[in-house]
Amino acid sequence: MKTSLILATAATLGLSLMGEDAKADGHAPVCGLNTGQAATGEPIKVGGINGNAPPGDFSGGTDGAAAYFDCVNANGGINGRPIDYLVENDQWNPELAGQVATKLVKDEGVVALVGNGSVVEMAVNAPLYAAEDVMVMASGCAISECYESSHIVSTNQGPLPSGIGALKFAIEELGATNAACIGFNIPNNGGWACDWMNEYMSSKGLQGTSILMDPTAVDLNSVYLQALAEGVDTILLMLPAGPAIGLLKVAEEQGGREMFKWVSPTPLYEPGVGEVLGDYWSDHLYINIELNTFDSDGADNQNWVKVMDTYGKDDDRRDTFSQSGYISAKFFVDALLDLDADRIDRPSVTKAIQNIVGVESDLLCDPYYVGVADRHMPNHSGRMVVFKDGGFELMRDCYDIDTNYLEPILAQETALGLD
Amino acid sequence: MDPLQKTSTWIGVALLALTVLILPMVLGALWIKVLTSAAIFALAASGVALVYAQLGLINLAQIALIGVGGWIALRLNYATDLPVTLLVIIAGGLTGVIGALFALPALRMRGLYLALVTLMVAALAQIFFNAFQFPNGGEGFWGVAQKSADAVRRPGFAQSDTAYFRYVMIALGVAFMLIGLHKSSAPGRAWAMIRQSEANAMAAGINVTFFKLWAFALSGFLAGTSGALLAGALGQLDARSFLAGEGILLFALAVVGGVFSWLGAIVAGLLYKLLPAIFNDLGLSADIAMIIFGAALMHAIMTAPEGIAGQIMGAFKKGGSDD
Repeated sequence: MKTSLILATAATLGLSLMGEDAKADGHAPVCGLNTGQAATGEPIKVGGINGNAPPGDFSGGTDGAAAYFDCVNANGGINGRPIDYLVENDQWNPELAGQVATKLVKDEGVVALVGNGSVVEMAVNAPLYAAEDVMVMASGCAISECYESSHIVSTNQGPLPSGIGALKFAIEELGATNAACIGFNIPNNGGWACDWMNEYMSSKGLQGTSILMDPTAVDLNSVYLQALAEGVDTILLMLPAGPAIGLLKVAEEQGGREMFKWVSPTPLYEPGVGEVLGDYWSDHLYINIELNTFDSDGADNQNWVKVMDTYGKDDDRRDTFSQSGYISAKFFVDALLDLDADRIDRPSVTKAIQNIVGVESDLLCDPYYVGVADRHMPNHSGRMVVFKDGGFELMRDCYDIDTNYLEPILAQETALGLD
Repeated sequence: MDPLQKTSTWIGVALLALTVLILPMVLGALWIKVLTSAAIFALAASGVALVYAQLGLINLAQIALIGVGGWIALRLNYATDLPVTLLVIIAGGLTGVIGALFALPALRMRGLYLALVTLMVAALAQIFFNAFQFPNGGEGFWGVAQKSADAVRRPGFAQSDTAYFRYVMIALGVAFMLIGLHKSSAPGRAWAMIRQSEANAMAAGINVTFFKLWAFALSGFLAGTSGALLAGALGQLDARSFLAGEGILLFALAVVGGVFSWLGAIVAGLLYKLLPAIFNDLGLSADIAMIIFGAALMHAIMTAPEGIAGQIMGAFKKGGSDD
């Protein structure tokens, strides 16, 4: 008996030391309790919904969250309980979005949803989340319901602050006076964001125009010609990466680089964009990024890289939404670790998420918070990069935007003591 | 009523009672939602089937008419405090009128040409929906604001998904009764005669144009009703859900299901909404359903002109005669 106890202690010590070595060499990611021991308790069900179908892929958020949860599960889980992360794809289909959310929330009984990224599901499911009192820590939001619902809080900014941030830079640094916002004709997406862009331009005594296109029949040539006809000097690409790159290609074919100042919100900030765009757009395409640069030295960014390298899949997206999914998942796990592992259920998790106030990360410019409110937009300060030599170069570090849309958000922050 | 029809009616009543009372107790929330969609599209498919079975006319614009019904229902939902059921009936009625108006210039055509005209109407509706969007609580005639959508009402007694499923199933039952009533009365006899020979029907004093329009109006009413029910089920409508091509798929599935009985419409609704959901739930691509639909259509055209429903009813008939 004594011998086996000594052997077991020695083995445990040896394994712990090996673990410490792996951590000490700086290559192992740091996740949750970081024990190096796999969690074996009763799984905690957590959901995630992404929208991955033409015309855009919003799966980066759930990819980043999934990798972080795997890492947490391999490192002690939530005080011994692993996270069972159930991910569904809404395929940009409102009916399917409603069905998969119902499955996760009602049939699977998830305690929360993390990493959601979609242009559809939040609009369909916001009432369901409120009725079932389940919180969604989204990561790739692009529609108004994401920011105007009681039970959805997104770590990414969405097109409104990111687009206006890009315009602010264009006005101050590039001399933009008349901008066209090119987006999808979806009232709570392109229509919503471009409407606020126009309001922002008016507030500066400048001109703004919305050019909204049918998402089911994208005709980029006609959109480009419409922008030419409008006589604008700046084009804001309020689009997912695919159609935005398509429009840049149309402009390239027609020698349109110098005819406009080209700015975009975050979707164009992708590692693969350099290969697709080539040298033509070098130094001519400015992008507002909603989180930090991919090569930032910040601890959370570096840990995101390690988590994705160690636990991510080869085909996982490694974009801003992936960073956003990772940090959403990290905030979620940190909140759950404060709970009694045996008493984790939906009400306790909802309360724990709503109690998140003022947590910080180098991936974000400002502290993150949730609180109890009828709208949430904790991230509204971004950075600006320029596309250069196949990569990106930081042009302006953290800066906020000034739009009436933020008034209730700023009031909330004051009430929470975050201003 | 012949014995087979009597059996079919009793089977229908029993099936309705079973689905309304038992299914919600044994199925999960996901499948209740899927079956609600299937029932809504079965209602629309019954309209396509009616026009094809009774007059031999192909209508590929049914999805567009569902969108029209949904648009009217949403507009009334935000503009008035009318009871939801009344609002659904008004949406159906107005869609029926619009369906008949669109059909009027096309009635001189038959076969492929009529099908093409209805397809063009569907394409027109697709452009309309994309350009003007669905009402979301905004001001003005179009009722669209660049913001999050306001809430869509459901009947007070059908607030939950389960209760709404029962509400839709009862609406489907009423629609089948309405179709049955038409088939067994003057319009049904007129349609049968027109299908045999328009010249003979005219000679017999039947107003061919009126009864053709009546069929299109009834089909439009069913589509409009299903659009209004869809708006209540989803809480909003999206232009991307009403693509012209979907009208072809719905017609094809109505043929696969069988256009001559209510059962065919149910099979069409299940194929259209349940099958892709099953594949999706199994982690398979929902596009596999398209391959199955293609094969099923070939099967229906080559060996089962009365569709799957015809085969099921045939089996009952055979069973009955064996006895």
